[in-house]
Amino acid sequence: MTQATPDAIRLDSVSKSFRLDDGNSVTALEGIDLGLREGEFVAVLGPSGCGKSTVLRLIAGLESASTGEVRIEGRAPSQLAAAHRLGVAFQDHALLPWLSVAQNIALPYRVAGTKVDNARVDALIELVGLTGFRDARPSQLSGGMRQRASIARALVLDPDVLLLDEPFGALDAVTRRHMNVELQRIWSTRTLTTLLVTHSVDEAIFLADRIIVMTGRPGRILREVTVPFPRPRDPSVLRTPEFHAMVDELTLALEPEEAAL
Amino acid sequence: MTLRARLHRYGPPVLGVLLFCLAWQLIGAYRLAGMTWPPLTAVLAYLADPAHHQLLGRAAGTTFAAVALGYLTGTGIGLGLALLTRLVRPARAGIDRLVALVHATPAIALAPVFMILMSRETIPVAISALAVTYLIYVAATSGLEATKAAHADLFRTLGARPLTAFWRLELPSALPALASGLKLAVPVSFMGAIVGEWFGASRGLGLLMISAMQNFQIPLLWAAVLLTTLTSLILYGLLGLFEAAVHRRFR
Repeated sequence: MTQATPDAIRLDSVSKSFRLDDGNSVTALEGIDLGLREGEFVAVLGPSGCGKSTVLRLIAGLESASTGEVRIEGRAPSQLAAAHRLGVAFQDHALLPWLSVAQNIALPYRVAGTKVDNARVDALIELVGLTGFRDARPSQLSGGMRQRASIARALVLDPDVLLLDEPFGALDAVTRRHMNVELQRIWSTRTLTTLLVTHSVDEAIFLADRIIVMTGRPGRILREVTVPFPRPRDPSVLRTPEFHAMVDELTLALEPEEAAL
Repeated sequence: MTLRARLHRYGPPVLGVLLFCLAWQLIGAYRLAGMTWPPLTAVLAYLADPAHHQLLGRAAGTTFAAVALGYLTGTGIGLGLALLTRLVRPARAGIDRLVALVHATPAIALAPVFMILMSRETIPVAISALAVTYLIYVAATSGLEATKAAHADLFRTLGARPLTAFWRLELPSALPALASGLKLAVPVSFMGAIVGEWFGASRGLGLLMISAMQNFQIPLLWAAVLLTTLTSLILYGLLGLFEAAVHRRFR
């Protein structure tokens, strides 16, 4: 399996258009070619409305491509979900309000119809720093804690593919940075193919192996950048001149599009 | 809660009830609304008099049994129809229209049909159940549509089978709307049973009201009305507490 493995996730000349209520249609994505190697962490970076969340929803099997093909391990994305091997953390944490933190994190087991591994649930609660909150309800948690519970839930079945749709988008800058450091730590403990959708340049560079920069209307891939920092990445990376130079470069790449909006 | 906070919370409603009772008493005592409006104390004294307990008790027993049966039947049919629209989605539009049509038909207009279809004792249950069915159907169908898009997405990415998604997501999401429906159905079930008794029932509070009115037994008429209203209000209040608990937990 190690020699020249094909991409774990492949998008081949994918376009996606949505039909509007007035009968017209809008093209959200056009000519997207993208591959993720097994165990690779790829960030999709772009301004709001550039279609980056649509890329994630296509891979999650929540939307289907208008033209082109999306393949995960050579098969349709819905098959990965049906096999309970997909983990997704949504922008809105999507925790069930009537379940406790522990029950929410254990939900994937129940949906899959397998026995709940309580030891693993507890270990994940500890990993995301929610010890002492296992019986709390989502409404009793802060925004950052809810997102951490949501990430624990995405990881609990040890998925092959992890999709993160701006999981920290609603958090303040300080909590967000703290969450990034934690996610980096969590991610370093295992190998799984990960796609992160974000509009934060820092977040993308700190977490990803490779960054796909997108532009909007219609959504296209503008450029690809490989992140040179070795893993595991210490938060001190965030203060290096190389990091700042890269942030500036990518911010500039996004700039013209943002000005045009 | 401090005494001050409690006064703020419960003061106005308690004051409102007291003012209402006082107004009733004064209007009755000074005959402001004529001979047919007795003072509240006269009605309460009538209710408290042991000599009337057998009459009122038997009538209330019959009516409350009809209310309970109508409420349960209506809830069962309403839930069943709502589940049917969920299982057989193409049937949704048709069942919606059928239920709306039945609801739009006044119960009074249906009563003669009921009279030739079923025994007179069953009519209160039937009218009560009919009114409750509509409310529960509307509450349950809108509840089953209350599932949040983000939660539905989550279940799809978890690879949930339809039945799993129904039990673990759609049903719990429907509970707040359903609890509200169960509360609102209480006065409706009373109304249905009382009106139903006007079409030839041989016993019950509705019948007692009609015969008391025709025989000018004013305290009896008001006592029957008060008994019905209080029972309905108490059950409404209890289901209100249940509703609040469900909303706290499931929303």
